[in-house]
Amino acid sequence: MLLTFARNQEKALALWLKNFVLTMQEFFLFSVRTFISFPKVKRYWRDVLDQATICGTDSIPIVLVSAISIGSLLAIEVGNLLEDFGAKTMLGRSTSLSVIRELGPLLMGLMLSARFGSRNGAELGAMQISEQIDALRAFGTDPVAKLVMPRLVAALIMFLPLTALSDYAGLQSAAYMAEHYHRLDPGIFWNAVYPRLAPKDFVVGFLKAPVFAIIITLVSSFNGFSARGGTAGVGRSTIKGIVVSSGLVLIANFYVSKIVLENM
Amino acid sequence: MIELRNVGLKYGDKVILKNVSLTVRDNTIKAILGPSGVGKSTILKLMLGLIKPNSGQVIVDGTDITNMKEASLYSIRRKMGMVFQGNALFDSLTISQNLGFFLRENMKLPVEEINRRVLEQIQFAGLEGYEDQLPESLSGGMRRRVAIGRALIFKPHMILFDEPTAGLDPVSSKKILSLISSLRHNNNLGAVIVTHIIDDVFNVADCVAVLYQGEIIFDDVTEKLHEAQHPFIRSILSDKILEL
Repeated sequence: MLLTFARNQEKALALWLKNFVLTMQEFFLFSVRTFISFPKVKRYWRDVLDQATICGTDSIPIVLVSAISIGSLLAIEVGNLLEDFGAKTMLGRSTSLSVIRELGPLLMGLMLSARFGSRNGAELGAMQISEQIDALRAFGTDPVAKLVMPRLVAALIMFLPLTALSDYAGLQSAAYMAEHYHRLDPGIFWNAVYPRLAPKDFVVGFLKAPVFAIIITLVSSFNGFSARGGTAGVGRSTIKGIVVSSGLVLIANFYVSKIVLENM
Repeated sequence: MIELRNVGLKYGDKVILKNVSLTVRDNTIKAILGPSGVGKSTILKLMLGLIKPNSGQVIVDGTDITNMKEASLYSIRRKMGMVFQGNALFDSLTISQNLGFFLRENMKLPVEEINRRVLEQIQFAGLEGYEDQLPESLSGGMRRRVAIGRALIFKPHMILFDEPTAGLDPVSSKKILSLISSLRHNNNLGAVIVTHIIDDVFNVADCVAVLYQGEIIFDDVTEKLHEAQHPFIRSILSDKILEL
């Protein structure tokens, strides 16, 4: 009985591995097809504009809320900590590094994974199960060029200004908290920010924007295209897209920081 | 002409089609009859090259499309118009935009010509006054007529219908069937109709192939279906609508 159980587990593991490898292969080909269709961007510029509005302009409120929230909290907590060491004047330095290098881009990535990624997954999943994607193919339109490439181009364009906005809002809210909560003079706060920031701090933060754009768009769109099994299937594929892209955003955040900081 | 030669297809361990061979000639209406979930719609997708068989060949107008790359298939697919079971209309586009979508996307036609063809299909489908409505505001029969119009608009040689009357009320079904008949008589179009409703076959089809357990068990002119001795065909002739 134990042997049968072990054999069943082995079979299940082999099947899981096979499916995983197949999915990775499909995802790779899907990504290649998306990048290959970039020359068609001129043809689908209207779709790019639509997607830029969805992932850019419409995402501003959620990006602002998360940036202001994290900037304020960071200023309060780090300020309390620095006060114990009599180093409150370093508050600008520590919060600006955290916001620009790490928390600004990371929170923006996670928020956009939830907002833009879920929209992609649900919309493309619904199109898949209602055969609209098959209809595009049946009538001679490449669905990847029409539906995925414009989303990726829009994300690549819009994630950069969103990162800048997230950094700006995070720093402003930190400065506000420094002045009103910790009674720190704004001049001291900003003097600790500007002269100390090095180019690599901006490179780390802004390099994450295109990396997150690629991860979120491709993972959520791939899961939408892979939706099967009715409305429940759309739900499953959307959740999978958000979970996987959020996980990959966290991993990519670590590696981008590590690689850039070690090499600059 | 579309030909399937010894086509086999499996999804995982599940066998969908076993050694299926059938021919659809130009200017004829061929029905593919069988119970739900037996692989009838899969045959239409094979004809369009939307899925590839595990074995056998799919030949369209003498060209083997079995292993053709996606980009090369687009020119083949434009010879066929497809009407999907759920219509597959783009729900964010109006009726006019749905009808003209593929002309704008894939054919370098002047705007006036696109508008003329869209108007022609709106009149053909009897949808005057609904041009600017979204698909969700139309009835099932109207949506089906839009889907047919969309398939016809780029003037294909053959139309593929996936369950054209499924989910429609009897009046709408009758309208759709007479529309299909008129396509052959007025436009000289061939058609493949996938259905599980035997009355539809007798109403419009010149010939019929019966798909049962992944195999073609009958393939001849519709009138000869009454002479078939296969127990499954005898049972469906008495029940009229296939249900499993």
